[in-house]
Amino acid sequence: MIKFSCWALLFLSAFTAPPKKTKVWLIGDSTIAAKEVKAYPETGWGMPFANFFDSTIAVENRAKNGRSTSSFRKEGLWQPVIDNLAEGDYVLIQFGHNDEVKTKATYTTEKEFTENLVRYVNESKSRKAIPVLLTPVARRKFDSTGHVQGTHDAYSKLVRGVAKRLAVPLIDLDLKSQALLQRMGPEASTYLFNHLLAGDHPNYPEGKIDDTHFNELGARKMAQIVLAEIKALKLELATHIYQPQVKK
Amino acid sequence: MRKIFSITIAVALMAFAVPLKKKTKVYLIGDSTMCDYESSRAPLTGWGMPFKVFFDSTVQIDNRARGGRSTRTFLSENRWQPIADSLQEGDYVLMQFGHNDEAKEEKYKDRYTPVVDYTSNLIKFIGETRAKKAIPVLITPVSRIRFANGVAQETHKEYTAAVHEIAKQYKTPLIDLDKKSRDLMQAMGPEYATLLFMQLEPGEHPAYPDGQKDNTHFNEYGARRIAELVLKGLKENGVELAERIVKPVKK
Repeated sequence: MIKFSCWALLFLSAFTAPPKKTKVWLIGDSTIAAKEVKAYPETGWGMPFANFFDSTIAVENRAKNGRSTSSFRKEGLWQPVIDNLAEGDYVLIQFGHNDEVKTKATYTTEKEFTENLVRYVNESKSRKAIPVLLTPVARRKFDSTGHVQGTHDAYSKLVRGVAKRLAVPLIDLDLKSQALLQRMGPEASTYLFNHLLAGDHPNYPEGKIDDTHFNELGARKMAQIVLAEIKALKLELATHIYQPQVKK
Repeated sequence: MRKIFSITIAVALMAFAVPLKKKTKVYLIGDSTMCDYESSRAPLTGWGMPFKVFFDSTVQIDNRARGGRSTRTFLSENRWQPIADSLQEGDYVLMQFGHNDEAKEEKYKDRYTPVVDYTSNLIKFIGETRAKKAIPVLITPVSRIRFANGVAQETHKEYTAAVHEIAKQYKTPLIDLDKKSRDLMQAMGPEYATLLFMQLEPGEHPAYPDGQKDNTHFNEYGARRIAELVLKGLKENGVELAERIVKPVKK
């Protein structure tokens, strides 16, 4: 009899699989993407963001350098996401940098950009996942009087419009990151970007002045903004933010 | 037949021609400012972490630094002997101690090491490194952040002076990281040099809900900037290791 119970228990336990993790899918461009070692210290904000949650969450950073809303789908990067989306998963969508530049092959007209975002949102919803729209994170651009300049105004406005129309949570990362750049000012904001003098870092022997891509610090600051907004939106995801066990 | 024989010979020779050269190991010994950290403690970062990606595939960095260790406790906990035992000709030992050696407060008496002992311990590391034909590199303790009237202050005076003295006497390569890091902080200024350190507002980062105001330990950005200074120091000393810095990948 005892033997039977043991078998029954074993049999039942085979069905109580470990709780499935909620996935947070990140789709977007180089400002989010995980970088190869050869590109360090360039860092996408999805890299530090992956550390922000407890063990019930898995961050799937699918963002790729150079992609627009159009090329991300065209190259088959969206299909594996939609195929694996589960109920309750999140899809954080941040595009614009490569959509808005007319000279790039990835250029996407305002109309197409809007339609593409609507499709990402609707397809996420059809899987009972939760889409979250983000305006494109700011570039470092100041006018001569030290005032930060928007560089995505038209496309950020489109993101806000789609979020409102489809009642999708919106993280206005463009606005929030511009505010951070303004607080730091033209000079100190360089500490957030991949700015290197010649000889500083082996990966960039000639140095680098990049006002679009972040270093480790900038990427983390952007990730922290996204996290703060997730809390402000009171998304259920905010209840799964990592909590340290012991006080350090 | 003759062809097969020739091929066999060729293969046999190739086995010997393959360079038996193992990777050069670079041991990092030191304290919390240098050591590796679990990702759960991010953004806390020791400079040994970003330092690892600076070299080509002939070099292997072995970061043995540990938080809270002085030269004395590094020895008493038997952290040095296994390194001394495994050192090979041409390996490097980069040593940076001081933060815990110099801690005079009662609560740190477990680690405190007077300058005279600090000196003899570093000399022991140097001697035992050289006995294995490996190369010791002395590094003065990286600076804490402390400004007075806008001027970055020395925070390790006595122990840094001791390292200089030893380097001179024993003719070892020396990286004056204390000075280099202080110069970096001076260039950034009192307001922004804090960006290098573990300084967080409450709620800013999940791992530190109450915030952090740490004037000693670096975040990921500070650790990388410090690692860059160490790399610069290696180049200035003209050590052979500096010839094996990773080359950028052509786009």
